[in-house]
Amino acid sequence: MDILSHLTPLFFGLIAAGTLVGIIFGAIPGMTATMAVAVCLPLTYAFGLENGVALLLGLYVGGISGGMVPAVLLNIPGTPSSITTTFDGYPMAQRGEGERALKTGIVASIFGGLFSAAVLFFFAPILADFAIKFSNVEKFLIILLALTVIASLCSNLLMGIFSGVLGVWLSLIGTYSIMDGGNGETRLMFDWMEYYLIDGFSLLPVLIGIFGLTTVLLDAEKSFKDEANQGRISLKNGKKFSFSVFKGQFLNLVRSSSIGTFVGMLPGVGGSAASVLAYSQEKNFSRDSSQMGKGAPQGIVSSESSNNALTGGALVPLLSLGIPGDSTTAILIGAFTLQGIQVGPLFIGNNMDTWYLIIIGLLVANLLMFAIMYLAIKPIAKVIEVPKYILYPLIIMMCVVGAYAINYGIMFDVWTLLLFGVFGWIAHKIGLETVPLIIGFILGKSAEIYFVKSLESYGNYSIFFTKSPIAMLLWALIAMSLAFAIYINIRNRRHASMQS
Amino acid sequence: MTTIFSKACVVALTTAALGVTATAQAQDDCPLPSNLRVVIGSTSTGGDTYQASSIVVDQLADKLDINAKVDAVGVMGAFRALERDRRGNTIMVFHDGSYLGNLYGVNGYPDIFENYTVGPTFAINPGNAYLVPKGSDYQTMDDIIEAAGNGERVRVAIQPGGVSELGFSALKNAVRLEHPGQEDNIVAVNTGSQADKNQLLFDGAVDVINGSVQANEQYTNLPEDDQKSMRFIWLTSPEETIAQTNEEGMGDTTREQLLQYAGVDIPMSADADESFTFDKEFFFLYNKDMDQAAVDCIDNALADVFEEDEVNEQLKRAFFVPDFKPSAEAVESIKQKNDEYEGIIGNLQG
Amino acid sequence: MESHWLSLFDVSIDFGQSHLFFPRIVTWILVILLGVILLTRYRHVAPGIKQAGRALAGRGGEFDRKRFFGTIVLTTIYFYMMGVLSDVFPNTGYSFLICSIVFVLALSLLYIDHFSRRLLLIVVVNALIAPTLAWYVLAQLFRITLP
Repeated sequence: MDILSHLTPLFFGLIAAGTLVGIIFGAIPGMTATMAVAVCLPLTYAFGLENGVALLLGLYVGGISGGMVPAVLLNIPGTPSSITTTFDGYPMAQRGEGERALKTGIVASIFGGLFSAAVLFFFAPILADFAIKFSNVEKFLIILLALTVIASLCSNLLMGIFSGVLGVWLSLIGTYSIMDGGNGETRLMFDWMEYYLIDGFSLLPVLIGIFGLTTVLLDAEKSFKDEANQGRISLKNGKKFSFSVFKGQFLNLVRSSSIGTFVGMLPGVGGSAASVLAYSQEKNFSRDSSQMGKGAPQGIVSSESSNNALTGGALVPLLSLGIPGDSTTAILIGAFTLQGIQVGPLFIGNNMDTWYLIIIGLLVANLLMFAIMYLAIKPIAKVIEVPKYILYPLIIMMCVVGAYAINYGIMFDVWTLLLFGVFGWIAHKIGLETVPLIIGFILGKSAEIYFVKSLESYGNYSIFFTKSPIAMLLWALIAMSLAFAIYINIRNRRHASMQS
Repeated sequence: MTTIFSKACVVALTTAALGVTATAQAQDDCPLPSNLRVVIGSTSTGGDTYQASSIVVDQLADKLDINAKVDAVGVMGAFRALERDRRGNTIMVFHDGSYLGNLYGVNGYPDIFENYTVGPTFAINPGNAYLVPKGSDYQTMDDIIEAAGNGERVRVAIQPGGVSELGFSALKNAVRLEHPGQEDNIVAVNTGSQADKNQLLFDGAVDVINGSVQANEQYTNLPEDDQKSMRFIWLTSPEETIAQTNEEGMGDTTREQLLQYAGVDIPMSADADESFTFDKEFFFLYNKDMDQAAVDCIDNALADVFEEDEVNEQLKRAFFVPDFKPSAEAVESIKQKNDEYEGIIGNLQG
Repeated sequence: MESHWLSLFDVSIDFGQSHLFFPRIVTWILVILLGVILLTRYRHVAPGIKQAGRALAGRGGEFDRKRFFGTIVLTTIYFYMMGVLSDVFPNTGYSFLICSIVFVLALSLLYIDHFSRRLLLIVVVNALIAPTLAWYVLAQLFRITLP
């Protein structure tokens, strides 16, 4: 077999290098997996297809995994898909359980990663055929389902929903892009803003503004007093990590990984929706979700297993249809075309060796990610001990790099960072909820496209209910998700009033 | 890995040595910066614009002995960056979409001939194609024109306002000429990416899609009973262009097979018997105030680059057709295309 | 007929105006929600605004105006100067490097409570090394476009 000849030390070395660099990119607030892959794309030309792909897969897996580090330690999601990791990871770190949180996340990550790799290997063509059953109508419903998640994530139902809708509204500013099939006209702004806002606000600057810069502002306002009052957060306090965390989590792991893989498969729905959906489904369906959001390991498990499961999921349509499942795999296509490899429905059959190598690469990348992260956790977790007068200026600096680099050098993105940093601070003060807002922002644009395009094709609102059995099933899920969210909200309120 | 590292070190050292007055001149008469930024009108690093640009820009940078980097900032970002930079530190690469956007009246697209300097062309993507489901009744473009003439609605999935819409407009115009009054039977279904267009075809929501040889060829080799199977029905490039591609063609489809979809007779106007063709050409755009010496310098360097086999082979391997025309010639040919297509688009609006 | 009542839900979208279709729906939902919030929580709104105003004016007790506004002002200057300098040193990242060194130093100084010679040294060294390292690795090794 020819394939063994490709399994050279260079092949494995590149996966390792890619994984390491990816983790670093993911771990720095503002830098993302997508950026890591984009930056290293030109290198692959020199390495040839097999080795180039090895490098990129390492970067992809490492980048997605590394995103949990700042999410847990600093409350800043390192990549958009680790937003939900902050919910429980940061409270745990505050209790001095940063290391435990990170280790829980790593184990969940490798489970999600390997799960999706297995799904990719065994079911890719079948799943791709299933994925194309999702037309605009069904995709809109998936997004709607992800949006209903807002209801179960907010502390005040009314304010949470308002924040979510505001996020959608903000995402619509700019043009109705012709790249998405729109008419290229601007809306929701004045003419004089067109020069800057014609492409709207980009996701990454908005995200790191609201999470990164806002955090700095909130702390600056308090003269960093919290830290002084409580004393330094010690890494020695709190529970140690042990695998018993995963007792009773198997269902959660499988459910979250399946959701991650499946959402990754649907082009255009967006990877960040995966962890949000998985997190809220865990909240709705697990036996005891009362601690979620206050530092429960099960939240980290669902978030991290689903976002790593994205990697295999997003490769399904890429390798079996030639269509990228998310923004990172969109860049991977570049690596194939640069090497003159055509991706499409015949890719796997025509390139058996490459296909096996991709699966091996994915497996090895996940294993290496686990090893590297597990060993590096102790020193990484010490970030939390770095004094804020050193840490915060550097965070702002790295956010600038991320904001500027995400669209390959647009200065307005840097100003967006500041704008949303200040906006995030105001939002905190007036009781808006930033997480629903960001989720609304992430999903808003695709929601519009799929909603309007569905109506343009079918000309009747009822199509959302009658299109297919899948649509009806999605409506059932939406109804269930909403009902649970409202039930939990009422129960919590009753608890709160009983305690006071 | 080590070579890249050492290359990067050399770069770092040289830039450090040059210090802040970093306008080193590779050739004495060449007022180009040592760090050239090439912005492209696409946000995708997986797309044809990025691919063609990076092949040619790498060679250009080698020839001029400068650093050049391709940044996928997108159409608006690229036009803005170009506008701001009068000194020639930033140049742009884009394709026919740059003037077609303006012809279709898309918001934000300037008149490139008035606001910018059009530089040399360097490559053609011969792959712009239209496809139907494999089991479709339409065997040729004539079938479609006939059907529309007989009152049948033909839905075509396109991305509005650019290269993707042009072929659609030409088709509609052809129906207008052969069956006056029936042209509204050709209906545009506006959508976004190639994935979205394919999906509409799988859904049966459209009859024809715009696509490309590169992205869709494998779908044409699927068995007819597969929901995903497609068939080429029209390549917009003229036969001369297709004839310059590699003999193997793309995937399992040879050049000879591709040729049968090109050279379709799509009439452009009632009086002339010229038929519509379209080559998606990549070319440079500069700031209006960029030094003429810099313009000439890029022209000359590119001419040298295209003398050699390397770039031609690289382009051909990636299914591009090398197509170098120096600035003066390029402006004329692009302008000519612009005027030709303006006629078609105007006919349909008026 | 069944299709009769379904036609109540008919909708036709003019492509030329389609950019307004969804934003209009979202804006209406937003306005309605805002109305509901104001109606149900009006008792919280006025005191909230008053409190925020007092805090910003420096009479809010715990509010550190120097550091809060200092952060915003320094960040604004940082971004502005980066844009200006990047026209002076195009495509090299020098603008990012210079502005970041100054910014990191200034912000660190703003955030320090008690100065000491040792602390000052740490801060200065950090401000010199960290941006330089970031610039070297990102702009030079990875060739990321920086201002």
